[in-house]
Amino acid sequence: MSDKFKVLYYVNQFFGQIGGEDKAGIEPEFRKEKVGPAIGFESKLKSEGEVIGTLICGDNYFNEHKEESLSFVMDVIKKEAPDIFVAGPAFNAGRYGVACAEICKAVADEMGIPVVTGMYIENPGLDTCRKEAYVIETSDSAGGMRKALPSMAKITCKLAKGLEIGSPEEEGFIARGMRKSLIVEKRGSLRAVEMLLKRLKGEEFETEMPMPVFNIVEPAAAIKDLSKATIALCTSGGIVPAGNPDHIQSASAQKWGKYDVSGRDALNAPDFYTTHGGYDPVYANEIPDRVAPLDILKEFEKEGYIGKVNNYFYTTTGTGTSVANAVKFGTEIGKELKEAGVDGVILTST
Amino acid sequence: MRNIIISNNPLVAEKYENVFFVDGSVEETLVKVRDLVYEGHELVSHPLAASLRVLFSPYRSVIVANQCEQLNFDHAEIIEGSICKYKKHMDVRKADEANSDDYKTVDLLLLQSALNDEKGKW
Amino acid sequence: MKLEIGRIFIKDIQLGSETSVKSGVLTVDESGLIAKLKEDERIKDVKIDVARPGEKVRIIPVKDVIEPRVKIEGGLNGFPGVTAKPAQCGEGRTQVLYGAAVVTVGDIVGFQEGVIDMWGEGAKWTPFSQTYNLTVDINVIDGIDPHTHEEIVRIAGLRAAEFIGQAGKDVTPDEVLTFEIGSVFEETAKYPNLPKVLYAEMMITQGLLHDTYIYGVNAQTILPAVLHPNEELDSAVISGNCVAACDKITTYQHQNNSVILDLYAEHGKEINFMGCIMAPEHTTLAGKFRVSDYTVKLAKLLGADAVVVSEEGYGNPDSDLLMICKKCEKAGIKTVLITDECAGRDGMSQPLADTAVEAVAVVSTGNVSHVITVEPAEKVIGKAESIAVLAGGWDGALAEDGTFQCELNAVIGSTSEIGFHNVTCRLY
Repeated sequence: MSDKFKVLYYVNQFFGQIGGEDKAGIEPEFRKEKVGPAIGFESKLKSEGEVIGTLICGDNYFNEHKEESLSFVMDVIKKEAPDIFVAGPAFNAGRYGVACAEICKAVADEMGIPVVTGMYIENPGLDTCRKEAYVIETSDSAGGMRKALPSMAKITCKLAKGLEIGSPEEEGFIARGMRKSLIVEKRGSLRAVEMLLKRLKGEEFETEMPMPVFNIVEPAAAIKDLSKATIALCTSGGIVPAGNPDHIQSASAQKWGKYDVSGRDALNAPDFYTTHGGYDPVYANEIPDRVAPLDILKEFEKEGYIGKVNNYFYTTTGTGTSVANAVKFGTEIGKELKEAGVDGVILTST
Repeated sequence: MRNIIISNNPLVAEKYENVFFVDGSVEETLVKVRDLVYEGHELVSHPLAASLRVLFSPYRSVIVANQCEQLNFDHAEIIEGSICKYKKHMDVRKADEANSDDYKTVDLLLLQSALNDEKGKW
Repeated sequence: MKLEIGRIFIKDIQLGSETSVKSGVLTVDESGLIAKLKEDERIKDVKIDVARPGEKVRIIPVKDVIEPRVKIEGGLNGFPGVTAKPAQCGEGRTQVLYGAAVVTVGDIVGFQEGVIDMWGEGAKWTPFSQTYNLTVDINVIDGIDPHTHEEIVRIAGLRAAEFIGQAGKDVTPDEVLTFEIGSVFEETAKYPNLPKVLYAEMMITQGLLHDTYIYGVNAQTILPAVLHPNEELDSAVISGNCVAACDKITTYQHQNNSVILDLYAEHGKEINFMGCIMAPEHTTLAGKFRVSDYTVKLAKLLGADAVVVSEEGYGNPDSDLLMICKKCEKAGIKTVLITDECAGRDGMSQPLADTAVEAVAVVSTGNVSHVITVEPAEKVIGKAESIAVLAGGWDGALAEDGTFQCELNAVIGSTSEIGFHNVTCRLY
């Protein structure tokens, strides 16, 4: 037995040297060797650790067959029992980033081993795994590989040996959102006075408790006459037609769907059900209108309380979906609704 | 009565008349307060105590105005924030039942102190 | 107003038959002190002990910490309005047994927990592991109500500090600090170009176990009051808080208020430090509105450019802090806030409930839920049963060998919101 710690590595088809976009549909495979960035990565481990194998999966395949891909990957990881798992770096590649993020999160949650990856700060995969993984901040293109690998290797060594991890600035990772309690050199009152002096002089200062920034959306003007208004129904509760024809993900959605409901009185079972993986689906599947109340809207339409229910109903899954994707979905759906002359939207969440 | 006391503390229910007694936990008491705030009752006292140890108390009394007005958004924010904060601590903690009697007494005395602050007002 | 603090460095405490300081060693006349305290016939018995830095000693439950002192020039000795007749604090010469502290122990209610560990992991998180502590454990006679009980223990601690402080009366101090600030007009004439800064010190004032006194006046009954910084440094403010172990301001911390000391250090250099506004924290919302309005009004009246605001406690006082902040910023007065936070055991949850866009400059004195693991003590001063109160918080918190986990909120002074200790939180 070697006393080196064992690393299992994940890359996509491109970095796995299988091919470009034309090979993005390949199924996951496992090779007991170092492939692509895993080679350079291992050389930075200073013989303290070794890469015992590389998992490779096509980006499209992963994103379209998430459950199968994850189960393949998890089986390999369970069998190989690495001490630490490393994926990427994915730079700003969206599908690759999402794959790295989903796998890192699953490995951290199920195996409880440390996970390391690398991403550009705007990668849509980041939100999924930033709490679970140490995500080394990279540039937005593969040109940053030479800079990313040493940082990834350095933090991997520390994690494998159980050493204390330094600050995000020192280690180069994207802050995980953890508030770490530390004993520092200067007492609190002195830090306060120093902050005060900087503030008074108009110099830059750094608060120790950054307030979260919320995007405040200005509400639209009230609808003057509901009886003439077209109202659309939209949900993040994952209600989809039976069979989930567009394969909307049960978590961390990558897409949204729209379905013609002009000929229906309700979203009744079994024609509809929920694909949402974040809540107990029993009651939603019994009567899907509980999540997206098309039945009531249609009643209102008949009574003349509202003018019309929009022909299409819009849906996606909210759980784990990144803010970046949610903003994108909202913008796209909003545009369609506006073009369709919709006056108001009932948005339901779960 | 100008005020109602929402409380799960039996000592408070014994001593005062204007009590809505919640036969349940502190969380249920705070949720009752929240419902009343949404109905338009203003908060008279803050839903939380001033220390963590008293936050762990199994008893809590909160004063709200008897009169029902329009929803006060600031008060809604305070009670919602208080419930969040309460749950953040207590969801991972056992209630300190061993010192129940002391918690009852301290809750009552802190309530009295708050009521004293409110004396002489219309 | 000019105050001289003569610091006599204390390097050890011994119990003996006289009270004196010789070559930095403080000897305390144990039976004399007990007799003195038992002049209050409501006190049944008193236990005196000593805890030194590094000893495997745990003190629990701590009620208050007080610095022993003696007034040798100007004003009156003791705590005016409480243990002495009313007198002006903040002038003349006060001698301090620096490095020594009186720690009162004694539970008024069963759930008190405040702990001081003198060694190991626990010691890192409390500033009072660095002082030589004379512990005073007080038992009262039967049939005393909680309010009276609290008062007896509070006053006994002050009287003990006064008694011991006498030892410094004729000793030449190792260091003399001078604190002098004149009237706002004088200081503004001297430093016309320096920004005018006030310190708003919030105090828990909510009833039993949650009180603060200024010159003996229960601060729950006051409107915000302006103090000269010297008054607080000279024992005008006293703690009656028995809970909020991590973030209460003990009497010792009032006497050595670190915000006052650090602002003083910049007075006449970078700022014009104009004084302290003592702001009570009420439980009622009306009280919170009144105090925040009044505090900001005083700051405007004094023409302040900036205010440092420190909180005391956690929970409802967070509302007061943000109200004062919002109203100051709205009035064009810059604020720096000092507060602790709750980010959960693992630090992963956000302190969302306590945010305001106006709070742009905040010093965090640590996560009250941060978990520390401490080993069993060789000796427990106080009430060993109280350890169960802090150790029994959740399943698995107590190991068989007596090692246990507790949150910082049980440790005296750990997340002091006057920034008395060196803990903070950083984003990781």
